[in-house]
Amino acid sequence: MSNSQDKKKPGGKSSAMSRRNFIKGLGVTSVGVVATPGVEFLSTLRQNPPLAQGKLLGPDAVTITLEINGKKLQTSVEPRMTLADVLRDQLHLTGTKIGCDRGACGACTIIMAGKTVSSCMTLALDAIGQSIETIEGLSPAEKLHEIQESFIEHDGLQCGFCTSGMIMSCKNLLDSNPNPSLQQVKVATSGNLCRCGTYPKVFDAVLAAGRDGH
Amino acid sequence: MKHIDAAAHTRGESQYVDDSPQPLGLLHVAVLGSPLAHGKILSIEIEDALQCDGVITIVLAGDIPGENQIGAIIPDEHLLAEKEVFYVGEPVAIVVAENFAQALQAKNKIQVQIEELSAVTDPRAAFANGQIIGTPRTFVFGDVENAWKQCDLIVEGRCDMGGQEHVYLETQRARAVPLENGAMRLYASTQSPYAVQRTVAGILGLPHHKIEVDVKRLGGGFGGKEDQATAWSCLAALAAWKTGKPVELVLPRHEDMVMTGKRHPYSSDFKIGLSAQGKILAYDVKHYQNSGAAADLSTAVLERTLFHSTNAYFIPNTRIFGACCRTNLPPNTAFRGFGGPQGMFVMESAIAKAAEQLNIQREEIQRRNLLCENDIFPYGQHAHEARAEKTWAEAENSFALPGLKERVAQFNQNNFEKKKGYAVMPICFGISFTTHFLNQAGALVHVYTDGSVSVSTGGVEMGQGFSTNITRIAAKAFGINQVRVKVESANTTRVANMSPSAASATTDLNGNATINAVTEIVDRLKSLAVSELGLGQKEKLSLKKERLFYAGKDTGWDWKKLVQTAYLNRVDLSAHGFYATPGICFDKQKEKGHPFAYHVYGTALLEVTVDCLRGTYNIDSTKIVHDLGRPLNELIDRGQVEGALAQGLGWMTLEELIFDKRGHFLSNSLATYKVPDVFFMPDDLEINFLQTAPGASGPYGAKAVGEPPFMYGIGLFFAIRHAMRAFNPKADLPFNSPLTPEKVLLQLHPQWGIDAENRRR
Ligand code: FES
Ligand code: FES
Repeated sequence: MSNSQDKKKPGGKSSAMSRRNFIKGLGVTSVGVVATPGVEFLSTLRQNPPLAQGKLLGPDAVTITLEINGKKLQTSVEPRMTLADVLRDQLHLTGTKIGCDRGACGACTIIMAGKTVSSCMTLALDAIGQSIETIEGLSPAEKLHEIQESFIEHDGLQCGFCTSGMIMSCKNLLDSNPNPSLQQVKVATSGNLCRCGTYPKVFDAVLAAGRDGH
Repeated sequence: MKHIDAAAHTRGESQYVDDSPQPLGLLHVAVLGSPLAHGKILSIEIEDALQCDGVITIVLAGDIPGENQIGAIIPDEHLLAEKEVFYVGEPVAIVVAENFAQALQAKNKIQVQIEELSAVTDPRAAFANGQIIGTPRTFVFGDVENAWKQCDLIVEGRCDMGGQEHVYLETQRARAVPLENGAMRLYASTQSPYAVQRTVAGILGLPHHKIEVDVKRLGGGFGGKEDQATAWSCLAALAAWKTGKPVELVLPRHEDMVMTGKRHPYSSDFKIGLSAQGKILAYDVKHYQNSGAAADLSTAVLERTLFHSTNAYFIPNTRIFGACCRTNLPPNTAFRGFGGPQGMFVMESAIAKAAEQLNIQREEIQRRNLLCENDIFPYGQHAHEARAEKTWAEAENSFALPGLKERVAQFNQNNFEKKKGYAVMPICFGISFTTHFLNQAGALVHVYTDGSVSVSTGGVEMGQGFSTNITRIAAKAFGINQVRVKVESANTTRVANMSPSAASATTDLNGNATINAVTEIVDRLKSLAVSELGLGQKEKLSLKKERLFYAGKDTGWDWKKLVQTAYLNRVDLSAHGFYATPGICFDKQKEKGHPFAYHVYGTALLEVTVDCLRGTYNIDSTKIVHDLGRPLNELIDRGQVEGALAQGLGWMTLEELIFDKRGHFLSNSLATYKVPDVFFMPDDLEINFLQTAPGASGPYGAKAVGEPPFMYGIGLFFAIRHAMRAFNPKADLPFNSPLTPEKVLLQLHPQWGIDAENRRR
C-alpha cells in the first residue's frame, strides 16, 4: 500500500470517499456517530471532518508526525491506514510484521505509550502524539537489548516471522516487571502466536533475561 | 551453533519477500475467488472494476499467453478458472492496481455470474460417485483373509480425521520483476523454487531459463508452500507480464485460509485381528482421502499414508488400501508428515478399540508388536537399525511409566469431575522422498581470495535451521571457521532443477551435495599444496581449524595462504556438487521395494487432565525419547521436535476445519480456527535424544528431524480418550479428530448438546 495518495490514473474518477474508508477513517472517538450514516450525514461530515487530537484530519491524505523510537517522523497517510501499514509501507520500518491484519496473531505488536498494541488494529491517526516503540528501536547501536541476546542464546526463534512481535511483548513485560514468573511470561505473550512452536524456548529466553538482565 | 539468522530475526532485520525495498512503480494485486464450490461460469463483468481508482488492469484466464495449467503431478488444475469453478476461493480474476486498497476495492466491483452445480465435500460420497484422482493403491503383505481364522479377537471400526490449516505466519506472497528480453525474476515465498520456475514458464509460454526464482527465506512453510505457493507466483508473474511492471502479490490471511489447500481430511475403515497373546496377526485398512478439487500432491500424500499405516509395529498380514477422492474443497496438499499421521492415527485407533474390548491398556498391545530388527514393512523394506523397542524402553524407564500409571489411577479414584489420562505413542517415519527422482540435490560452492566462502544449494530456509546446518556442514567439510561461510538464497540460476524443501530431507540431500562440492575444491587445494610444498602424498594433507597439516604436522600454511596461492596458480576455486540418495528403489507395480534411506524412531509419553464437566483439558506433560542419529545441532533439532509436536497436538485437538455442506470454509480466520498458543503447550516438556544409534546416511550421520515428531501429538487424542473413559466407561467415543473441548463435552454428555452435525448445516 505504498504512495497511495494523489496517484490517480489519468482519466480516472476523482477519489470520492467510500463508506468503508469513511468508517475506518473516523477513528475511535467518532464510532458512536457512525451508527446511522446516511448520504446527507456523509456530505455534512465531508464538509466538517471529525476532529482528531484537536486538529482537522482527512478525508484525503494528511501529513502527520509520529514519534517512533524517539524520533519524530513525518509522513502522509490516508485516514483509513493502520499504524502497521504506515510503519511498513510509508516509513519502511519492516521489522513489524503483519500475520493476520485482524488483531489475532500478535506479529504486529509494538509498544505505544508503554502498552503493547496490535499495530494492525490501530489507526495511524490514533498514534499521533503517542510515543511508539518498534523492534527497530530496541538496539539502535550495535549492542543488542538483553531480551534480544536472550532470544538468540535460547534459540527462541525459527522462521522469525513472529519474532519481532514476540520480542516487543517480552520487552514490555520486562520493562515493568524485571523478574517475571513463568505464568506472567505466558500472560504477556498470550497474544503472540508462533506457528513454529518456539514457545518453550521463548519462556526460557524471557526468564533468563529477567534473571541476568535486571 | 546458534541459528544463523538469530540476530537479524531479533532485530527485525531479516528480509522476507515484501520487506526488501520496493522497486519503482511496484503494482499490487487482489485475487477474486469463486464464491461457490461448484458451478458453471456464465459471465465475468469487469467494466465497473476497471473504472476504479488506481486500477491498471484485470487479468482473466483468457489473458494467459502460455498454458493455463499448474498441476504438478497430474495436470488437472487451472491457474485461473475458465468455464467452471470447483471450489470456493478458486482464483477467477486478479485486479492489478497502484496499491492494494485500490485493488481490493475494484475486486469487489467484478460481477461473476455462476450457475451453481452440486458440490461434494465428503470423500466417501466422492468415491461412490467414481470421483477418484489417480488410481487407488493397495499394499498387500502376507495373507489377511487366511489370518482372520487364527485370530482370537477381531475388531472393526471407522476413523474420521480432520484436516489442518498451515497458518504459516507469513501468508503466501511473491514479487515478480520483468527483466530485459522478456525474462522475469521472482522473489517468492515457496518451498519449491523449481516448481515456481517451471510453472511460471509454462503459464507465460517461455523456456525455463527465462524465469529466475529467488528464495531468501520463508516465514513458515510446513508443506503449505510446497505446491500451493506456485499459483501466487504465477499470478504475480502474469500480472507483471501483462503490465510490464513489477508486481507484488500478498494474500491477506482470510484469502489465504479460504483459497489454499490444507492437510487432507481422511475417512478410514479398519479391521484388526489379534491372538490371545496380544500379537496383532492381521490388519486391513481402507483410507478415503479427501483430496479436494485437484490432484496437487494428493497421490504422493496418499502413498505415504500407505507406507506408514502400520506405524512402528510389525504385522505379518496386512492389506492397506487408499484412494484419493475428488471433492469440492480447495486442493489439499503437503503438511508436515505428508499423509503419514493419518495412517498412524488409524493404526492407533484400531489398537485402542481392541484394547478397550479386552479391557487392557493400549500399551499392552503396542509394546508386544513393536518393530524389531529385520522385520519387514508391508512395502517390503526390512527394518534396519530398528529403534522402536529401544526408544520405548528408554521412555518407559527414564520417564517412569509405571509411576505415571499409578498416579493417573490414583487421581481418577479421588476425583470425580476431573480425570487424568495418559498415552504412549511410538513413531516410525521413513526418510526420503517417496517419489524416487526427487532424491537428488545440487550445491554450488565458491571460495573467494580472502578465504570467505559462498554456498548455494537447492534448499530453502523456512525456519527449520537449514542455513545454519549448511553453514556448519560446509565449515566442517573445509576445516574452517563458520564465520567464513555464507549460505545464499535458493536461486534457480545457481542451482538447477531443485527438489522441493520437503520430506524432512532438505539437509540430508543438500548437505551431502555441499560436502561433495567442498570435497572437490579441497582436493584441488591439496594437489596444489603437495606440489608447492614439495610433499609426497596428497592423502596425508588435512585442513583443521584453518591450518594445513601434513601427516599431523603443521605445514605453516593457513587457509588464506592456501586459497591465495591456489588463485595465483589458476586453480578453480568453485565447484558444483551433486548428491543422489543411494540404494533406494520402489516398484509401483508390485508395491514393494526399499523406498527409504532410513527410518526415524521415537516414543512419547503424554499425560492429560480433562475437566469432564466442561470438556476442557490441560496437557500436564509430554516426555519424548527421540532418535536423532548423530545430531548436527541439538539446539535447533530440539526446536524442530517442539515445533512439530505443537502442531501435532493442535491437529488432534484444537484445530478444526469447519466446512458447510456447500463447501464454504467457516472457521476461516485466526479467531475461529485455533492453533496452539502459549497456554496450550504441555506444562512439563522433556525431550531426550537417543544418540547411541549408528549414523544414518544424513550428513555426518545426522537423522532428519522436521516431520517425525509431529506424530507424537497423536498420543494426545488417546490420552484424552483414556480420561474420558475413566469418567464415563460407557460413553460412545468415536475416532473423530480433532477432539475439541466441544466434542469432549458432547461425547461425555450427549444429552446436553444439540447434534454437532446440525450445527454444520
Ligand atoms: S497482524 Fe496484527 S495481530 Fe496479526
Ligand atoms: S518463529 Fe515462525 S512463527 Fe514463530
